Amino acid sequence: MNLTTADYLIIVFYFIFVIGVGILIKKKIKSSSDFLSSAKGIPLWITSLAFISANLGAQEVIGMVASGAKYGIMTVHFYWVGAIFAMLFLGVYMMPFYYGSKARSVPEYLKLRFDEKTRGLNAISFAVMTVFSSGISLYALAKMLEIILHWDFDISIWVAAGIVMVYTFLGGLTSAVYNEVLQFFLIVMGLSPLVIVALQDAGGWANIKAQLSPEMTHAWKYMGNANDNPMGLHFMSLIFGLGFVMSFGYWCTDFLVVQRAMIARNMRDAQLTPIVASIPKMLMPLIVVLPGVIAIALMKQGSAYSIPVEADGQLNYTMTLPSLIAHYYPSGLLGVGITALMASFMSGMAGNVTAFNAVFTYDIYQPYLVKKQSDEHYLRVGKIVTVAGILISIATAYIAKGFNNINDFLQLVFGFVNGPLFATFLLGMFWKRTTGHGAFWGLVAGTLAAALTHGLTLAEGKGAWIANIYEIKSGMGQAFIVAGVSWIVNFFTTIIVSLMTKPKPEAELRGLVYSLTDKPKYAEGKWYLRIGPLAIILLLATIILNIIFF
Amino acid sequence: MYKKLNQLSFVIGLFFTIVAVILLLNNWLTVGGGKISLYTAVVFAVFGVGMMGVRGRE
Repeated sequence: MNLTTADYLIIVFYFIFVIGVGILIKKKIKSSSDFLSSAKGIPLWITSLAFISANLGAQEVIGMVASGAKYGIMTVHFYWVGAIFAMLFLGVYMMPFYYGSKARSVPEYLKLRFDEKTRGLNAISFAVMTVFSSGISLYALAKMLEIILHWDFDISIWVAAGIVMVYTFLGGLTSAVYNEVLQFFLIVMGLSPLVIVALQDAGGWANIKAQLSPEMTHAWKYMGNANDNPMGLHFMSLIFGLGFVMSFGYWCTDFLVVQRAMIARNMRDAQLTPIVASIPKMLMPLIVVLPGVIAIALMKQGSAYSIPVEADGQLNYTMTLPSLIAHYYPSGLLGVGITALMASFMSGMAGNVTAFNAVFTYDIYQPYLVKKQSDEHYLRVGKIVTVAGILISIATAYIAKGFNNINDFLQLVFGFVNGPLFATFLLGMFWKRTTGHGAFWGLVAGTLAAALTHGLTLAEGKGAWIANIYEIKSGMGQAFIVAGVSWIVNFFTTIIVSLMTKPKPEAELRGLVYSLTDKPKYAEGKWYLRIGPLAIILLLATIILNIIFF
Repeated sequence: MYKKLNQLSFVIGLFFTIVAVILLLNNWLTVGGGKISLYTAVVFAVFGVGMMGVRGRE
C-alpha cells in the first residue's frame, strides 16, 4: 500500500485539527476540575458521541471486522446483546446515582457508597488496566502501520502517542472528548464508502447470504448447540456471560465510558447520554461487522480480493479491514481510510489516558498520597499524570513488542478484575443492606474465583494452569464462563459478608441507593419526554434487529 | 472566525470540507480516482458545510 501526496495531506490536516482543538480548549482550563472532569458543562450530543467513541478504539474497529470475517453475523451479539441493554440500564437506573452523588469518578462513588478500601481496590486496578490497555492499543496501531505502510515502528509509536499527549495535556478531558466526536465522524464517514463499494462488489446482501454457509449469516439460529456455530457458544452462555456479566460489567461500571456521561450539563443529559449513544451503537455493525462478512463472501466468489494469509497458511483475520481499504480505496480516499484507523486508535488512547489521570489524581493521589493541597497543585499533578500515563503506555507497547504473550496475559487479568465488578454495583445501588466489607471481600473473592476457573478449564490450548478438569470449545466461551462464575461468587460473597457486618446508617445512603433516592421530577412529565419510554423504544428496536437477523 | 472556531460543529464541518476539497482536487488532477472518491468528496462537502452552518450551545 503506497500513499500519495493527497493521502499524506489528509493525515497532516487531521493531526493539525486534533492539536488545534487542544490549543483552543487550553484557554478554558482554569482548575483541576476543568482539566480532569470538564466542570460538567458539555452538551448532550457531544457527551453521547464521546461515550460511544471512547469505546471505538483501534482494537474494537479492526477486531470486530476480523470477528465478522471469522464468525460471521454472530459478531453483532457484541452490540445487540453485549452493549445496548447495558447502556440503557446505565442511563435509566445507574446514572442518577453516579451523577446525583456528585462523585467525580466511579471509584469515588464506591467510597461514598461503601468505604475507602473498596474505592482503593477499584481505583488501583482500574488505573493499572487503563494504562496497560492504552499501551497494547498503541502497539497494535504501530504494528499495523509497519505491516501495511512499512512505516517505522518506533516513529509510529512516538508520533501517535505524542499527538495524543499534546492535545490531552493542553485541554484535558474536554479536549479528549471534543476530539472523540471528530474521530467518531471520521471513523463512520471514512469507512462507510468502503462498506457501500464492497457490498456492491459482492452483489448485495441477498447474494452474500446465498454464497455463505447459513451459520455465517444468522445471529441466533445455530446457537442451540455450541458445535453448530462458528463461535462455539450455546445461547445461554452468550446471554449470561456476554449479555449480562461482561456487558453490564463494562458499560455500567467502567469509568472510561461512564466518565463521558458524568460530565453532562445536568442529570437529564447524564441519563440521556448512554441512551442516545445506543442509537449509533445499534447501527455500528454496519461499519465494523458487515465488512468482515463481505470479505469472506468476496473470497468465496473468487473475487480479486483476499484476506492476507499468515506463515502457517491460516487467514490473518486482523488484516481484513486494512486489506479491504488497500483493495478498494484509491489515492486520496486511502488517506481518509488510514486517518480513520488512526482516529480510532487515538480516541481509544485518549479515553484511557483521561480516565487514568482522573482516577489517579482523585482516587489515589488526593486521598492517599498528598491531601489538602491547593487546586492549582492538583491541576499540575493531573497534567504530570497525563504525561506519565502516555509514557507508561509507550513502555507497555515496547514490552508487548518483545513479549507477545503479554497481550493475552493482560487481557486475562482484565477479565478477572472486570468480571465480578457489576455484582458489587448492582447490590450497592439496589440493596441498602450491602456493606463496605461485603463489597470489598466480594470483589476479592470474585477475582480469585475468576483466576481459579481459568486455571481449571482449557480452551483452544489456553488455561488449565492448575489442572485440566473441563474442556471448553472456544476461548470466547471460556471467557464468558470465567466472567459468569466470578460474578456469581462475588454476588453471594457480598450478600453473606454484608449480612454478617454492620450497614451504614440510612441517612448516609441517601442519593446513593435506589430505595432511598427521590426520583427526578422530569420522570413524571409527558411520556415522550421521559427517559423510560425512550429506553423502551430503543430496547424494542434492538429486539427487532435480533429477530431480523435471527 | 475565532468565535466560530470555539464551536465544535464548525471545527468538524471545516475539517470535512477541507478533506472534500483535497479529494476533489486529487480526483481532478489524477487518473483513476474513480467515482468512489468523487461521491465521497461530495458527501463530505455537504456534511462539512451543513455542520459549519449548525448553531448550537457548546
